[in-house]
Amino acid sequence: MLKDITIGQYIPGTSLIHRLDPRCKILSVIIYMIALFVVNDTVGYFSVLLFSLLIILLTGISPVYYFKGIKALLIIIFLTVGLHFFMTPGTVVAEIGPLAITQEGIKQGIFMGTRLILLVTITSVLTLTTTPIALTDGIELLLNPFKRIGVPAHELAMMMTIALRFIPTLVEETDKIMKAQMARGADFESGNIIQRAKALIPLLVPLFLGAFRRADDLAMAMEARCYRGGENRTRMKQLKYSSLDIIAMVVIVVFLGFSIYTRVVL
Amino acid sequence: MNIRTITKISLIAAIYAALTIGLAPLSYNFVQLRISEALTVLPFIMPESILGLFIGCAIANIYSGLGIYDIVFGSLATLISAFLTAKMPTKWLAPLPPVAVNAVIIGYMWSYFAQMPFYLTAGYVAIGQIGACYLLGLPLLHLFTKSQILKKIKEF
Repeated sequence: MLKDITIGQYIPGTSLIHRLDPRCKILSVIIYMIALFVVNDTVGYFSVLLFSLLIILLTGISPVYYFKGIKALLIIIFLTVGLHFFMTPGTVVAEIGPLAITQEGIKQGIFMGTRLILLVTITSVLTLTTTPIALTDGIELLLNPFKRIGVPAHELAMMMTIALRFIPTLVEETDKIMKAQMARGADFESGNIIQRAKALIPLLVPLFLGAFRRADDLAMAMEARCYRGGENRTRMKQLKYSSLDIIAMVVIVVFLGFSIYTRVVL
Repeated sequence: MNIRTITKISLIAAIYAALTIGLAPLSYNFVQLRISEALTVLPFIMPESILGLFIGCAIANIYSGLGIYDIVFGSLATLISAFLTAKMPTKWLAPLPPVAVNAVIIGYMWSYFAQMPFYLTAGYVAIGQIGACYLLGLPLLHLFTKSQILKKIKEF
């Protein structure tokens, strides 16, 4: 039932995008998404598409990985495009029974489809070129300014890092418990949805007990090494902005400016 | 925050993420039957799980389709519903906030991105959530409150 999983889709590389600081990448993705929602005409969508293709080329990662991300959302994309094709009022182009495809519908459908595909693809760029740990570090540093209003930035990042480290362990453990319960006659694969849901309970209970035992061991190990939270801690890998990051930020801000321009002026 | 709390929260987050990622195809379809969403009943008996679910959800969503928006809004929906679940008066109502909050927030998000009718997207989300939270979550809660498991967990 459980398949082999890879945590994080990180593909190692040395491309320009790989070398960017994770903070810079996270901020850029946010700005990119604002731009994606600002554009609303052909010129706008076309320029976003071109810009995105350029970034994808820069990562040097095979397009196959990007298609994987899109494949997961294929049903939603088709549903969206279809709904817009038929539901937008306007000049009728073709009629299938009671349903009519309109010119405006085709345009709107293509726009929304493009928007969804780009949303997925650009996030893939972030997760394909950044390790989960670098991403967590980036999030911690970006949250630092919010410490004053009580956001526990260091603790949150610490918890994320520990969680990331234990996901593979727990997946393995889930698999083991499943096999152990199956050997005792548990049935996870047949029956209706209620029976299946109930069958998962003998799985979740030992999983919890095991996890809490690990949490206890880990707490003891951390205490023994005098862990005292974020104050005065140093890092093995320090994040530093380079000139590359500054250039990337300038490019993305100019791009946002251009998107606003296409909406307001053109 | 003491170290024991930190590690407990982290492991709850890891369980959530492991279940979501391990059972991935079921989790990321439009009708999201996230088995891991059954864990959203836990804040009712374990306050540590509020933050744990939030972090677990954020990690799991990093690998879902919609990206930054899903990370921000999906995790926020989980955080809000976990707070509300902790405040529910009876265990019959404990699975209600994850159903309602997710249907509204995620449903609205989907309908905005894809420009689709809100009732459609909210309905889809709600169906999946009812499945996970009531069919699996409620029995889980019964078991945890009735048996000695909770006591054992609290001792750690």
